[in-house]
Amino acid sequence: MLHATTLIVSLIVFSAAVIAVLVARPAITATRGGKILAFVAMFCLPIFCGLLGFSREMGRAKTTGFCLSCHTMEAYGKSLLVDDPTHIPASHFQNHRVPSDEACYSCHTQYAMFGGLRVKLWGLKHVAIYYFGTPPAPENIKLYEPYNNRECLHCHLGARSFEEGAVHNADPGTLPAIKSNQLSCISSGCHEITHDLAHLKDAKFWKEAK
Amino acid sequence: MLSTNRFERRRQVAGVCVVLGLVIEALCLLWATPIAFVVFVAIGGSLMFVGIVLYLFSLVNTVVSPE
Repeated sequence: MLHATTLIVSLIVFSAAVIAVLVARPAITATRGGKILAFVAMFCLPIFCGLLGFSREMGRAKTTGFCLSCHTMEAYGKSLLVDDPTHIPASHFQNHRVPSDEACYSCHTQYAMFGGLRVKLWGLKHVAIYYFGTPPAPENIKLYEPYNNRECLHCHLGARSFEEGAVHNADPGTLPAIKSNQLSCISSGCHEITHDLAHLKDAKFWKEAK
Repeated sequence: MLSTNRFERRRQVAGVCVVLGLVIEALCLLWATPIAFVVFVAIGGSLMFVGIVLYLFSLVNTVVSPE
C-alpha cells in the first residue's frame, strides 16, 4: 500500500514539475509539440493523478484504523472486542465474517449504486462536525437512515445458515419479510445487540492474538 | 513572472492552480488522517478543477480571438 502511495506521489511530483516548467517558460507552448505537451501536462496528467489519488484516499478511508482515528469512535472500536457471541459487530469482527481491516466500512457501506461514495460523503459530514461543530456523545450517535437488511444480505443471502435457519423458517412469512427489508435483521428479539455502548463498561473483552 | 500576453498569463495562472492542487493532493496522500481526506477532496480537488477549467477556457478563447 505504501508502495502504491509512493508511485502516485512520484507521478504527481513529475506532473507538477512539468507544469512548473510550462508556467516558467510559456513560450514553449508556441510550437505544436509544446501545445501537445501542455495539453498532456495540464489536462491529462492532473486528471489521471487526481483519479489515482482519489482511489487511494477512498481505499484508505475504508480502513478500520481510519474510522477509529476519531476520538468519538473509540467506544465503537472497543465494542468490536466484546467477548459475547450475541454481540453482532464483535462476533463479525472477531470471527472475520467481515475483513478486520475494513470492519466498519463492510457493515456501514451501502451495497447499492454509488453506495460507497454516498457513505463517504456522510463521512465528510462527520469530519466537518468533528472539527467545526459539536460532535454528539458516542452513545447519542444515530444512523442517518434505518439500517437496511441489504447490507446484511450482501453476504448472508444464499448462505445455508440464513436460508435454512430454524427461526428464519419458523413462520413462512419471515424469510420474505427479511429479504424485502420489512422485518429488520436487528429488530428486537432477533440480532438486536449491536454496539451497545451503554453496557460497554461492564463487558468482558476478548484479547486479540497478535 | 507572469507573461504580458493575456492568453499565456491565463495558462500560467491555470498552471499555478493545478500545481498547487497537485502539491496539496501529494501532501494529503502522505498524511493519512481523516482531515487529509477532506483537504484532498475539498481544496486539492477544487484547485485542480479551477486550474483545468481555466486552461481549457484559455484554449477555447485563443482559437476564437487569436492575438
